[in-house]
Formats: sequence, structure tokens, C-alpha cells
Amino acid sequence: MKHSHRKALLSRRHLRCRWLMLLAVLFIATGCTTTRIDEFRQGETGIEADESIVLLGRRQGSTYETREKFVECIGDNVSRGTLGLRVIPEDDFINALFPWFEPRTAPLRTEDLQVLMEEPIVAQKIGEYGIRYIVWIDGQTEQTSSAGSLACSVVPGGAACFGFGTWENDSTFDVRVWDITTFNHVGTISAEANGQSYVPAVVLPIPLIARVENNACESLAQQLQQFVQGE
Amino acid sequence: MKLLQHSNSKITVSRQAFRAIVSIMLACLLISCGVKAIVVEGEYPRPAVSSVDVNLGVYYPPELKAFSYNEYTDEGKEEYTISSGATHMQLFNSILPSMFTSVTLLENLEDAQAANVGAVFVPTIEEFQLALPQKTRLGAYEVWIKYNMRLLEPNGDYIADWILTSYGRTPTATLQTAESGINDATVGALRDLASNFSIGFSSVPEVKEWLESN
Repeated sequence: MKHSHRKALLSRRHLRCRWLMLLAVLFIATGCTTTRIDEFRQGETGIEADESIVLLGRRQGSTYETREKFVECIGDNVSRGTLGLRVIPEDDFINALFPWFEPRTAPLRTEDLQVLMEEPIVAQKIGEYGIRYIVWIDGQTEQTSSAGSLACSVVPGGAACFGFGTWENDSTFDVRVWDITTFNHVGTISAEANGQSYVPAVVLPIPLIARVENNACESLAQQLQQFVQGE
Repeated sequence: MKLLQHSNSKITVSRQAFRAIVSIMLACLLISCGVKAIVVEGEYPRPAVSSVDVNLGVYYPPELKAFSYNEYTDEGKEEYTISSGATHMQLFNSILPSMFTSVTLLENLEDAQAANVGAVFVPTIEEFQLALPQKTRLGAYEVWIKYNMRLLEPNGDYIADWILTSYGRTPTATLQTAESGINDATVGALRDLASNFSIGFSSVPEVKEWLESN
């Protein structure tokens, strides 16, 4: 009696362990993502060790605004590795140059930047940061389609979910690089990424999330590093 | 079913019913029975602009100091009370010293002449509008504010009187509360006001004329 009880306990533990392993594998697995990067160079680039860049999100649109987190993500990736660049955080720059880079006042063309740099305070602050390039990031991630249904219920004994959900995310971003020394638009890098995410649920929901925006961020950052270095 | 019996009276309540009543009362207290009060809080940078050579007096009218806006549900019940008087004063106290040679806060308009100021600035809020994502379905909290800005001579005569509007928007985000969404959108509108005011002050025709003549 005692032996059979221990055997049952062991087999239950074994089963639980298998479930946990399966869950771990499923959590590591993610949905498929496709990313396409296009680069359009319009001028020579290069950067000295004491120079820096600033990444700014475009927020003039009425329907969407470039997320701060995405700008941060590119900044983090651009400053890493052997080709790592000195990046001025967006918030620090916008606050230091307040009110010239607010959604309603930020320069939209390089000609506007040239006029803005005639303000002595602006030129002085940009000089203090050692900024060589202003990089404008414009875009968003949208959920383009979704299907399926997932139902979860909570009862005194526990909770459970059943069903299947899927959706597609599309990311479209443009990165425009302005050279402060020449007031020229030296190039554009575009990223298009899409991916399908799935959440099957049999008691426990298992999210297989496509890291669409993250992939767009990493690819753009890598390309931007090379672009600014002139490679 | 286990019963609870009051020793002195004949009231008998089941344990489950008692728990349900207490839960409902607590939920009522916490969620549905009150207006959500939001006191807007934000930080505002000093503007990087050339200062105007004026000793400016600033008078905050009581309506601005205590400004609050009530948002109502579709049924006409008060849903949010948004107090932004203090944060408006914080904003002006942050931007005005960078815009003018010196700034003097006035408790009364009558103190202006004694304080030896060149002009008195009096800001007031004319209108406040809030758009909630659950009503607009636009996925963002939006705030519009309409201001009446007045610049007076120390003796009370008008120099300029102009309207400024500002707009702030915060996209909805996972785990974001309505309170923080409204706060961020209002702070965005105040930053928008500060940028328009600090860049455009000297371009207001009457102000420009007054600055040239002084």
C-alpha cells in the first residue's frame, strides 16, 4: 500500500516535470518574423571618437507617434559592440533643448535645423553634447489581423483557459540621418518587419509571440551603426 | 450550512452571506461609489531661449490656483476630478525666470506698482477638455487647454490680451491606469503651452509693439 502510494507520487512528479520542460521549450520558441532593411545613402558619413549622435522619435502625426521605448531600444543597440557609438539619451536632449524639439516645434527639414542653429543657445547646447548626427526615427507597429478565440475562467479551485488565438504584427520604420556640420540629409534606412503570433491554450495558455518590433529595432540599429561609421 | 448566531438578538446570518455583503460594501467603497481625484504632477524644463529685458510681475488669479476640471460619465455622474492649478503655477515658475531678466510673484494686482515691475503677467484657463480612450476609441488620452494670457501695465492698463491653446496626448499602454494616462496627457499639454508661450511671447503683435517702445 505504502509502496504503491510512493510510486504514484513519483509518477505524478515525473509528469509535472515533463509538463514544465514542455512549457519551457514552448516559451523559448517564438513566432516567425521577417525583416527587410533598405538603405539609401545621399552623402558621405563618418564619426570621430569625441562625437556623438542623438536619436529622436517623430511625434508630429495625428494618428500615431513613434514610441519612446523603440527609440531607446535602437539607442541601446547602437551604443553596443565594437562599432558602438556615443548616444545622447532622447529625454536628456529634448529637455536640455526645450522648447525647440517638442512635437509642435521640432525641425521637419534640414533647412529648419539650419535656422534653429542660428539661435546661440541651441548651437551652444548642441556643441556641448558634441553631436555630429541627428537621427530621426519615424514609424509604428500595428496589429494587422487577428483570429481565433480564447476563454479563461476562474473558479474557487483554480483557473483554466481554452482556445486558440493568433494575430499578425507589422512594423514600418524610417530612420533619417541629418549631418549637423553640413545641414544635409545624408541618408535614410527603412525597416519593414512582420510576424505571426500564436497563443494555444489547453488549461494553460502558451504564448508564441513574434518579436516583430524587437527584430526591426536590432536590424535598424546594426545598419545605422555601419551607416554612421561610413561602412 | 454553518450558521452564525448573534447572542443577544435573533438575527441569523450565514457565513457566506455575511462575506458577500462585506465584499460588496468594500468593492462599492473602492470602485463605484467615489469620484476619482487626480492631482496633476509633472516636471518642466527651463527653456533655452534668450531672455527679455523686463522685470516681470506675475499674478496667479485664485481661479488658476484652484483650477480643477470634472469629467462626467455618459450617465452624467462625476467620474474624474482633475486638479491642475498647482502644476500650472509650477510650470510658469519654471519657465518665466528663463524668459525674463527678473520675475516677481505678486499676491495682489495692486502690489505691482510698489514692486517696481515693468509689466504684470496674468494667466487664466478658459477651457479644459479631456478625451478618454474608452469614449473616443482612439487608443489615447488627450487633453486640450485654452488659455487667456494678459500682460498689464503696473497701473492695470492692458498691454496685450491673447489666446493660447495647448494639446497633450498619451497613447494607452498595458498596465497603465487611467489616472496616469490623464496625468501624462495633461503634462504633455502643459509642455506644449510652455513651448508655444516661450517661443511666441515676443511675436504677439501688442507685446512686440510694447517691447519696442520700452
